[in-house]
Amino acid sequence: MRTRLFVSSGAVTALLLLLIGGSPEQPLEAEVLKPLLDSPMEGAICLMPPERSAYAQTRGGGAGGRIGEEGPRKSVLDWPVEGTATIDAMPTRTVFDPYPTFGGLGLDDTAGRAFFSDSSLSGLLSYATSAGSHSTDITESQTHVIGPDTGIGFIAGVAVDPERREVYAVNNDGGGIVTFGYDQTGAVRPVRGLDTPHQSWGISLSLARDEIAVSVQQMSGIVFYRRGAAQLEPPLRTLRGYETGLADPHGVAYDDQRKELIVANHGNWTELRPYSPYDPLTQRTQAYQPGRFEPPSIRIFEASAAGNVAALRSIRGDKTGLNWPMGLTVDTERNEIVVANYGDNSIRFFRRTDDGDVRPSRMINGPRTGIVGPVDVKVDRVRNEIWVANYSDHTAVIFDRDASGDVAPKRIVRNAPKDSPALTFTNAAAAAYDTKRDALIVPN
Amino acid sequence: MFARLANGLTAPERVIEGQGTALSRTMHGVAYDEVNDEISIPVALGGAILVFRGGANGEEQPLRVIQGSETRLIRPQTIAVDPLHDEIIVGDTTARAVFVFDRTANGNVAPKRVLYGDQTKLLDVVGVAVDPRRNRIIAASRSVSTTGILTFNRTDNGNVSPKTMITGPNTGLAHFRQVAVDPESGRIFLAQQSMREKRLEPYRGDRPRTEEEFKRAARASSGRVGPGFVGVWDIDDNGNVPPRAIIQGTMSRLIAPGGIALDPKRGEVYAIDGGSSGYFVYNVPQLFRDPWTALSPGTR
Repeated sequence: MRTRLFVSSGAVTALLLLLIGGSPEQPLEAEVLKPLLDSPMEGAICLMPPERSAYAQTRGGGAGGRIGEEGPRKSVLDWPVEGTATIDAMPTRTVFDPYPTFGGLGLDDTAGRAFFSDSSLSGLLSYATSAGSHSTDITESQTHVIGPDTGIGFIAGVAVDPERREVYAVNNDGGGIVTFGYDQTGAVRPVRGLDTPHQSWGISLSLARDEIAVSVQQMSGIVFYRRGAAQLEPPLRTLRGYETGLADPHGVAYDDQRKELIVANHGNWTELRPYSPYDPLTQRTQAYQPGRFEPPSIRIFEASAAGNVAALRSIRGDKTGLNWPMGLTVDTERNEIVVANYGDNSIRFFRRTDDGDVRPSRMINGPRTGIVGPVDVKVDRVRNEIWVANYSDHTAVIFDRDASGDVAPKRIVRNAPKDSPALTFTNAAAAAYDTKRDALIVPN
Repeated sequence: MFARLANGLTAPERVIEGQGTALSRTMHGVAYDEVNDEISIPVALGGAILVFRGGANGEEQPLRVIQGSETRLIRPQTIAVDPLHDEIIVGDTTARAVFVFDRTANGNVAPKRVLYGDQTKLLDVVGVAVDPRRNRIIAASRSVSTTGILTFNRTDNGNVSPKTMITGPNTGLAHFRQVAVDPESGRIFLAQQSMREKRLEPYRGDRPRTEEEFKRAARASSGRVGPGFVGVWDIDDNGNVPPRAIIQGTMSRLIAPGGIALDPKRGEVYAIDGGSSGYFVYNVPQLFRDPWTALSPGTR
């Protein structure tokens, strides 16, 4: 039972230390203009009991393991307390998108399967790589994993394991990585779950290294896990720090042939310190590092990179045209890095060895392409096609592998009837009313 | 941006997005200044505050950017604007503070005032609002010891105690985000996402937390579960007091509202619901205008 006490500052200090656990830090003192850096706590790492990995997902406000398992669980029957006027009224207006919003794409060209995360309705859909047409109707998916026990929340990146026929999906707001079999569908539990740092986004699997790489936005880093890692298994290593140049990383892709790791960065950077309601105020010892905006970039590292190491090559600068680069992939046969460039609705191709301020070798962009808010891109080497997942439209568009310029897609996969508006809501949690324009402002 | 009367599946009228805006694809706060026609946004991933003109659209640059070593910002999550006193109020979850900047601040500037320290009870500050008429700053903050709505005198500075604290089991407060205030009536509206407290994230930095940390978090939980709600209090409410009114229930369709905006003139409340991936508009003029005594329990 949580206890609320209204006491003096000295007793609050003692209570915090009692509740949170003994800390080696000094007693609390507030120096108003000196935010201080706390070091991560070192401690014994234990795998949590299976109960903590139960997959009942909460949408909104983050998911993750259950809290309160040790305390008496209360239902809502004791709420609201007497005296509260309860208004259980229908909304007069409801703005909602009943259709999926594609957030990430994984493609197994040998098995002929394409998997999409749906960040709006919290699902995982799959299609044959031959799917799509020029129909205006919804393209029927082969599988559709959806439901609270799936552990799917605000889901982002997707990766496939063609050997095990498994698909990994990354939750961006709590819930870690959930892994399903290719043919699972419906309200099913994942075959495996892996906790990851908060705001994980992109994922890539390396069969050669038998590991997965996960980009973590707020950490501006990459964490690497053993392939098949589960629950609270710690990372094999981490790539983070000022020298890496990583800043709000999104798409990540292994290049097993060159033994490299490629990461797309938006450029936002601020330091990461403990911030949860469970991390107390502490006395800090390290210097404050303010936030900054770096230019967007693609950084290429050794696949085995760890710690605070510099990239081998960095594609960045005005000529690159990078603008909120999202998912990316490597076409080893064509020697290309292919990136979904959200900010200008383009797919940009760079040479695998590019470095510095270079122009893309080609682009697919223009009104005929149907590329609208691209969040991920994959290459189908068997069918010689490029798949693009659109976030700002209810479609995925498929092109010839050699496509360039303002070309129409070969086929379109639709998750809504043609011309359905895309709300593009994913975990929106704030609003303001614009009195001048009679409009609602919602950051997303 | 959506037209106020938007209903159903509707595309936004305008979208501000793209590299040139300096926005990130993760933002948890917004404020509109109707006097100066400006939109203020905290960018947590960049440790910055951006101010756009009210009619901004597309890949438009902000008018002003507050960022840098003097600002002390780390991960600002929530924001409010006081056009009467020309101030911007920012809640920073990682700095564990509420910062007050001059409204026209730009660049690497120090805040005018900072609320920070153990006396303030501020920790995970996820919502801020300002009542310029009553000269109060309202902060929605979460911690193991104090989860609730705290109000301060607008000009408070440093490690000071809140003027009022709405906290305790009768409040129902657990996992919430945005808070708003109607300066005309002095009523606070809060969007609560869940009756269950915010879960402990499994990682601290790049390392998993220890078993003991999870156990401590579990012991701190009330054990209560249930969907979120919109809660309304009087700005002078203090202590372990329940909301005067809530919007909650199956007909309301609320699952996990984290955002809230008010149109007091029309008596409308907008609840942004991450659980539903949409938003709901409620016609509830009684919440703005009726005396509290006129709101009886079980009001429909």
